[in-house]
Amino acid sequence: MDFIEQCKQIIEKATQAIDSIENEGQLVGFYNEFLSKKGCVCSLLSEMRSVPKEEKAACGKMANEARSKVNELYEQKKSKIEEETLNKKLLSESLDITLPGRAVKPGKINPYYLIVDEVTDIFLNMGYEVAEGRDVESDYFNFELLNVPKDHPSRDMQDTFYIEGEGERLLRTQTSAAQAHAMLERQPKTPIKLICPGKAYRRDDDDMTHSHQFAQIEGLVVDHNISIANLKATLELFVRKMFGEKREIRLRSSYFPFTEPSVEVDVSCFNCGGKGCALCKGTGWIEILGAGMVNPKVLEMCGYDPEVWSGFAFGVGVERVAMLRYGIDDIRRIYSNDVRFLNTFINK
Amino acid sequence: MKVSYRYLLNHIDLDGVSPKEIADKLTFAGAEVEEISPLASGTNLVIGEILSCIPHPDSDHLHILQVDEGAKNGVHQIVCGAPNARTGLKVIVARNGAKLPGGEIRPSKIRGVDSDGMCCSLLELGVNKKFLTEQQTSGIEELPVDAPIGEEDVLGYLHLDDVAIDLDVLPNRPDLYSFENVAKEVACLFDKDTRFQKIDPLESSPIHFVCGSETPKCQIFTGRIYKNVSVSKSPCELKELLAVAGIRSINNIVDLGNYIMLLTGQPLNMYDADKLPKNELIVRDDFEGDFVAMDGNTYHLEKGDLVVTSDGEPMCLAGIMTADACRVSETTKNIVVEAAYFDYASIRRTSNRLGLFSDSSSRFCKGVNPDQMEEVQDKTGSAMKRFVGAEHCYIANSYDTFPHAVKTIPLSFNYINDRLGTNFSQELILNTLRRDHFEILESDETSFVVKVPSYRIDIDGKADLSEEIIRILGYSNVQSVLPRTKLALNGLTDHQEKERQIRRFLLANGIDQILSYTLVSSEENQKFTYLNRAKPYVLKNPMTVDHAEVRTNLIHSVLKTASYNAARQNKDLALFEISDIDAIGHAGKMLSVVLTGNEKNQEGIAERPYDFYDAKGIFENLMAILGITKNRYSVRKWSFSDKEMHPGRSAEVYIGKKLIGFFGELHPVALKEYGLKNASVLALDLASAFEVRVGNVKASIPSRFPSVFRDLAFVVDEGIPYEDLRKEALKSSTLIKNVEVFDVYRGAGVDDGKKSMALSITFSKEDATLKDEEVNDAFQKVIASLRAKFKAEIRE
Repeated sequence: MDFIEQCKQIIEKATQAIDSIENEGQLVGFYNEFLSKKGCVCSLLSEMRSVPKEEKAACGKMANEARSKVNELYEQKKSKIEEETLNKKLLSESLDITLPGRAVKPGKINPYYLIVDEVTDIFLNMGYEVAEGRDVESDYFNFELLNVPKDHPSRDMQDTFYIEGEGERLLRTQTSAAQAHAMLERQPKTPIKLICPGKAYRRDDDDMTHSHQFAQIEGLVVDHNISIANLKATLELFVRKMFGEKREIRLRSSYFPFTEPSVEVDVSCFNCGGKGCALCKGTGWIEILGAGMVNPKVLEMCGYDPEVWSGFAFGVGVERVAMLRYGIDDIRRIYSNDVRFLNTFINK
Repeated sequence: MKVSYRYLLNHIDLDGVSPKEIADKLTFAGAEVEEISPLASGTNLVIGEILSCIPHPDSDHLHILQVDEGAKNGVHQIVCGAPNARTGLKVIVARNGAKLPGGEIRPSKIRGVDSDGMCCSLLELGVNKKFLTEQQTSGIEELPVDAPIGEEDVLGYLHLDDVAIDLDVLPNRPDLYSFENVAKEVACLFDKDTRFQKIDPLESSPIHFVCGSETPKCQIFTGRIYKNVSVSKSPCELKELLAVAGIRSINNIVDLGNYIMLLTGQPLNMYDADKLPKNELIVRDDFEGDFVAMDGNTYHLEKGDLVVTSDGEPMCLAGIMTADACRVSETTKNIVVEAAYFDYASIRRTSNRLGLFSDSSSRFCKGVNPDQMEEVQDKTGSAMKRFVGAEHCYIANSYDTFPHAVKTIPLSFNYINDRLGTNFSQELILNTLRRDHFEILESDETSFVVKVPSYRIDIDGKADLSEEIIRILGYSNVQSVLPRTKLALNGLTDHQEKERQIRRFLLANGIDQILSYTLVSSEENQKFTYLNRAKPYVLKNPMTVDHAEVRTNLIHSVLKTASYNAARQNKDLALFEISDIDAIGHAGKMLSVVLTGNEKNQEGIAERPYDFYDAKGIFENLMAILGITKNRYSVRKWSFSDKEMHPGRSAEVYIGKKLIGFFGELHPVALKEYGLKNASVLALDLASAFEVRVGNVKASIPSRFPSVFRDLAFVVDEGIPYEDLRKEALKSSTLIKNVEVFDVYRGAGVDDGKKSMALSITFSKEDATLKDEEVNDAFQKVIASLRAKFKAEIRE
């Protein structure tokens, strides 16, 4: 057969063969048949030796053409098959992306700590320090230094747990006891800015809104020339950070033995913005704090001359804020720690 | 304290001011109004007469009435179910469209018969059941025969058109337990004058009857005697006033005592004069023995209790309750009226000890005005004339050793404005105090002196006056001005910062922070006491045995919470709590962690039960966070024999000789007790851990030269701890920088009682690249020393 014809036949044969190749095995067969050392392209080239001289140029060109054409067919098919194989493999590796992720889930946190942390951070940012009182207090610090002498009528307001023996010890009925400690123990007498978050105890039957154990956050500022105006501004700042920029406060006259004047502080309802809703019982206001100017008698008993020093104090009920903010129906939930309840609360 | 709206209207010129407006003012001025409740309510009411009453053809209890509702309204047919409906009865009719507390009245057909209105009982007008007789609650109200038919102001006719304003009186304002003083307060808040009637004193004469006191705890004792009084029903007017205050009418004498108490705040006590052994009433505090009170109960009195005696016999537990023997009864003819001043602390102590409380004792405990006894007696006389018909009053010898000092307070205008942060003018300050019934004794450019009204026993300093000014003028007059304080480095203390870090770590590791009760039972306080053996604080007056002591440790509380949750199908739990612990001679913070059920990092796909090593891992990381390196503490085998911790799967942690923590798995007995399948716990005495001094951190600079790693498995006796192998291996050559375990194997190929420990050893040098022969040499040293020390064999 004519050499050139032979070349053409090989190209034609290879072009036909490549079409039917579907996998790597067949591809290897194709390679062996055409491109390996024993393949027909190679033997074609070896036949070049027997081609007459005058035809060599034309035949050589044709042979090279056949080789590169077959090679091209082979490479194209190869990359196609490789890609198909990879795609098949990737497809087979697909995951159910709806299965849960693998991770340590952040621990949940009792809302008590959320409120305490949030309030603490607000006052830390205002340059306050954090005082920590103790649960077991003396009568002296819990009552006497706070202007509640023995048999004082306001002792009826807070029925107290007393400790057996051990002098006059009791479970603190308010975190205000920390005020007395801070003032009395400070030497020399310098300005004070502190908050004291902590537990307190009263002989209340546990029900939806009462608990024998509860928590308060006490605040105290003592300095020269402190006034009600300072208290009002401080509480406004706090309330707006805690409950939203648009919150207003209003002060109502009240009574606490350790402050004079004393006020109850209402904040405009953070649920309805003051229009009136179920949360604020239609009034537009929510009672949130007790506060006042530190009673001069308290300052004096704690070693701060009331003619020179003045101060304000305030107290927030932690559970009350938690219940209002998170819509908790029963204070006992906070102390039961059912994890299905805690699951709502993630530490920020 | 419930105050009558009508009383206020009668004594202050409050043109058109509603109860709500009064309540709002009082609330902002310090006497919060809790409720405004009308005695009765109803619109479209009229007085009618039943003209005829025939049985309903279709019912065994209904009647068909024809009711005359007066000339203007005519006669209407009403179907009525009341058993006392009858011809000729005067009744209250709620006409069509009437709004009653229970709803609106509309024309209707009752079993086929038209009914046009409703005959009412007082209950249906919202009158409290406690003021009604059984007859009044079981049928319609029966009006007197002379009731005017067609009268539309039915509530007015019945003296039921008053409104009770219920004040929450705070302990500093006991004066507000008096209608008169509430009227003064309301007048002040609305800037109006009060108009009290002049007392019309009863004709009087002295009598030989001694009122006295043998104790400084009673400084004032006055008595008046009324003869030949007749005990009977009270007039409507008196009943209504008592009803507003929530007091049930008894008889004219008892009611009168309550009436004066409501008006003036001064409790009175009434004695049947003929039942007194002697013409005297003497207060003593040295009586001991039994006392039968008018409530029928016997109380044991001790020395120190104030007792009113006659001829040495107790006639009254002073300020609290009269003796049964001399109380005023239906047959009483002659009465002694006592108005006295007792020491509030004594009354409070006796009242609390006996658990015996009365309106009188409550007022004495809160404080009464000592400067109005004679005035109160005069008012009583005047009321005796009006309600009981008394015409003469005998005045007993009174006792009064009270100082009755006039209270005056000097202060400056600046003091007020500085304290409030206001800029009130001198005139405004003085006028406000005058409104508040203070008298200005003197004043100049800078300062002034006020006289405190005698009933304001709460006012005793200039700070109180600043409060008076602002509560009357209103806190809305105060600007907001942030305090100007000096800059100081405050913020969290070192310990507080450490606590926060620990909390953040535990939360980030999926452990929930809980809050449990501080008070536990004494039995609970015996559990897991390893970290604190101090005696607990025991409550003198616990409410329940479950909350009788202050907890001395924390583990039990967290386990109890786990147990509570497990019982509610919440079985996979990781919980922690940090709490202050107070015990006798011990005060500090503790941390407890409880892990129970499975650790689930991908729901249930890769779950695994918590075990010893989970607790240990958390513990080690906590120490690392606190900067306490491993050489600062030692972990030792469990040495306690209580059936609380698994003896082979628990460890104690010491710093020096002090046990500062422990971790491990729960003993099976304890597991059963808490209803848990498995549990790993960790307890740490944070207070002690915080105290550990931590040095500055120094960076460790890694070697420039590559490390070499070699793995090797040793077979050793089961009892040989990994830590011993590790330490020995580290010691055997200075080239060895780290030893880590990567497998522990028991089973085929390893003899019983032995285990294979596979170690990965890191060799390196700071100043040069390691040569093969150096590594081989060090490697051989490890093998040799482990073989020598532990008979460790290389596992091929």
